[in-house]
Amino acid sequence: MSSPHPPLVRLEKISKSFGDVHANRDIVLDIHAGRIKAILGENGAGKSTLMAMLAGQLQPDGGRILINGQPVRFTSTRQAIQAGIGMVYQHFKLVEAMTVAENLFLSQEKGFWLSHRRMMERTRQLAARYHMTIDPAAKIDDLSMGERQRVEILKLLRRQSRVLIFDEPTAVLTPPEIEQLFRALREMSQQGKAIVFISHKLDEVMDVADEIAILRKGRIIDQLDVAEVTSKAELARRMVGKEVLLEVDRRPCKTGNVLLEAENLSGEGLEGVSLQLCRGEILGIVGVAGNGQKSLAEIICGLQPPASGRVRILGSDWKRFYATRTDKKTLSYIPEDRQGLATCLAMNLVENFLLTTRLTFSRGVWLQRQQARSRLQGLTGDFDIQPPNVDATAGQLSGGNLQKLVLAREFFREPRVIVAEQPTQGLDVAATEEVWKLLLAARQNAGILLITGDLAEALALCDRVAVMFGGRIVDTFPTTDSEKVERIGMMMAGLETPGKVAAG
Amino acid sequence: MAISLRIRKRQTPLKLQSGLVLAGALVLSLALSALLLKLQGKPAGQAMLVIFQGAFGSLWALEDSLIKAVPIFLCSLGVAVAFRLQIWNIGAEGQYALGAVGASWVALSFPSLPWYLLQPLMLAAASVTGGLWGLIPAVLKLRMRTNEIIVTLMLNYIAILFLDYLVYGPWKDPRSFGFPMTRQFDTAAVVSKIGESNLNWGILVCVAAGVIFWIFFRFTRYGYEIKAGGENIRAARYARIPYDYLVMLVMVLSGALAGWAGFLEVSATVNRLEPSIMVGYGYTAIVVAWLARLNPLFIGVASLLLAGLRVGVEQLQLDFQVPAAFGQIMEGLILLTVLAGGFFVNYRFYLGKKD
Repeated sequence: MSSPHPPLVRLEKISKSFGDVHANRDIVLDIHAGRIKAILGENGAGKSTLMAMLAGQLQPDGGRILINGQPVRFTSTRQAIQAGIGMVYQHFKLVEAMTVAENLFLSQEKGFWLSHRRMMERTRQLAARYHMTIDPAAKIDDLSMGERQRVEILKLLRRQSRVLIFDEPTAVLTPPEIEQLFRALREMSQQGKAIVFISHKLDEVMDVADEIAILRKGRIIDQLDVAEVTSKAELARRMVGKEVLLEVDRRPCKTGNVLLEAENLSGEGLEGVSLQLCRGEILGIVGVAGNGQKSLAEIICGLQPPASGRVRILGSDWKRFYATRTDKKTLSYIPEDRQGLATCLAMNLVENFLLTTRLTFSRGVWLQRQQARSRLQGLTGDFDIQPPNVDATAGQLSGGNLQKLVLAREFFREPRVIVAEQPTQGLDVAATEEVWKLLLAARQNAGILLITGDLAEALALCDRVAVMFGGRIVDTFPTTDSEKVERIGMMMAGLETPGKVAAG
Repeated sequence: MAISLRIRKRQTPLKLQSGLVLAGALVLSLALSALLLKLQGKPAGQAMLVIFQGAFGSLWALEDSLIKAVPIFLCSLGVAVAFRLQIWNIGAEGQYALGAVGASWVALSFPSLPWYLLQPLMLAAASVTGGLWGLIPAVLKLRMRTNEIIVTLMLNYIAILFLDYLVYGPWKDPRSFGFPMTRQFDTAAVVSKIGESNLNWGILVCVAAGVIFWIFFRFTRYGYEIKAGGENIRAARYARIPYDYLVMLVMVLSGALAGWAGFLEVSATVNRLEPSIMVGYGYTAIVVAWLARLNPLFIGVASLLLAGLRVGVEQLQLDFQVPAAFGQIMEGLILLTVLAGGFFVNYRFYLGKKD
């Protein structure tokens, strides 16, 4: 990495941890004016944390940020914006009932009287300067996602931001809007702005970026110019990472009858997915987050109805399965969102345990809290939940222990189908190994759908994997098929479709 | 460099100190009330004493406070059921009115029934009318995604006007000399007094309702499901807790309890239906539920306190010519200081230096 000019922003050995989890470790990064820098990495690699620190949302635990060689400390986004660093978030922060111009000048106008005409005029000028088209008088409500994003960008330009950070900006855009965004990015960079572009989509990065920094597990593992990139496949491999950190003993298990079946299933962001899950196997759903896994899990787990297609769970049609009320020997969902979905943080551990086991611990209308309590006390020992105080609230547990609580609860139900979503995300090595062992042991009686973005995890645990991209399953194959396993990274990046397998 | 005040959420809310915070808030609200009286040129200290003595200073006063505490308690218990699911029912006033209407309809229609049939029937009718009045906003919320706060509030006005229509129109007592009221209920429709006292057996209904409330939330699956649904609606969906059904359940229960209050008010206290029963018990009940943090025992205590405040301020009116609205002002001050106190339980302040 070389550049003739001194960097506009320099990150020096930036680190950030949340509890035991190191989100960022010793990050060194230079951001130059007039260049577009892509931060490429898997979900959970630490991209958003890093940018949140640059944008003043989070404060680093260690290291420093320098702007033009001067160390700065931001304790709020306001300070970062004043220093010329602004971010376009995935969720836009606009007042939807107000016009484009009003949003742009919100909190920026001095004095009591507003001149709408002047606001409109200045908005028009600003947009024209960067060759963006927008109607200053339009209400945000009436705008498309692409137009809203343009308003966000104009907000930053209006505040004279010199560094513009984009957090996965293409996630909400249609292909033509993506083209427009890229044109705007190039225009801004030509006019001397520094652009930081967070993404996990290889094509886009290759398309628009000048430089790439690859982030994996909180560290920057590579920085290079786009011109130096020889093959996308190599980039994909670096991003996903494939070295197996842990070894678990995975003896093949006799597979039995079909427990879960999806046929031509479609939903939000999901198109025509078919799969079969048998007793005794772990089927991995691998792919970069945001390629339909969420919808697949939610439909199978009853949180949203299928738009079309069929799902059969334990021999019952979806609708019938979810009309039956029982919590033993059925389907267990171990969601990625432990705090918001799988638990109530304000309730104690017993009450959280009862969430999905309350029917087991009911006699008529009476809830047997005491029995649940003593049952859970046993489980806190088995699962090593710290602190082992069942009267503590779930909010007092660390992320790893909260996940253990969810696992203890769900395995207690002796499920026949398990849908586990990123079950080891944020866990340390020892806890990860525990979870892996539990999942392997559970497939004696169950079929497990393991949705993960961690390829190492998928390869360590799964009997078969299905690779998802763009809402579809690209290919399904046993993990013993080494030839195909080699190409998982490319499939995940959408570089390979079943039709052009020969491209290798 | 300037000193700045920063606010952070506490990791765990204060437990022990929260009692102190509550006491502090109450003292502060009394001090502010005293200040208001002082500004009016009234003897503040003496006035506070009058309020206290007027509310609890004599047997007669205490009885009066208890009688007024009954409807407040039942309405408050009702809104607390809904609040536990974080359904913001502020329609206790209207549900109370409809309960009174339902009970009155039975009392006026079946005057020949013996008391042991008539009164349970009145209670049942009040449950149904109050409960249905609660069910309307629940169904609208679930079907049309309306906001229950607004709908329950607006239904209050409809209920009160409906009650007015009945007593000015079809149910008006022809011998009332034009006053808007129904004819007096027969003795079979009147919940009788306890012994020689002014108190009636409605107190017992309150105790029973409070105990059932406690048992329901402590020991039944539905109580647990309501709590979980109120804490985290997404987790409730994840756990297949029948949230929509619970919304309807809590609103029916909520409305039915307010309906009971309406029944006891017309039957035991007023002995007829008339507009004067609408004195804002349903709104005071919301204040009470908040003060008591939805705990049935505390709801009992807070109901008595705020009922006492009403009775005491009546005495204050007589002694010092303070306007009746002063009671509402004090009620509002208590709610404000206690809510503000809640902020200190959940957050703490830091003094920091600003760069």
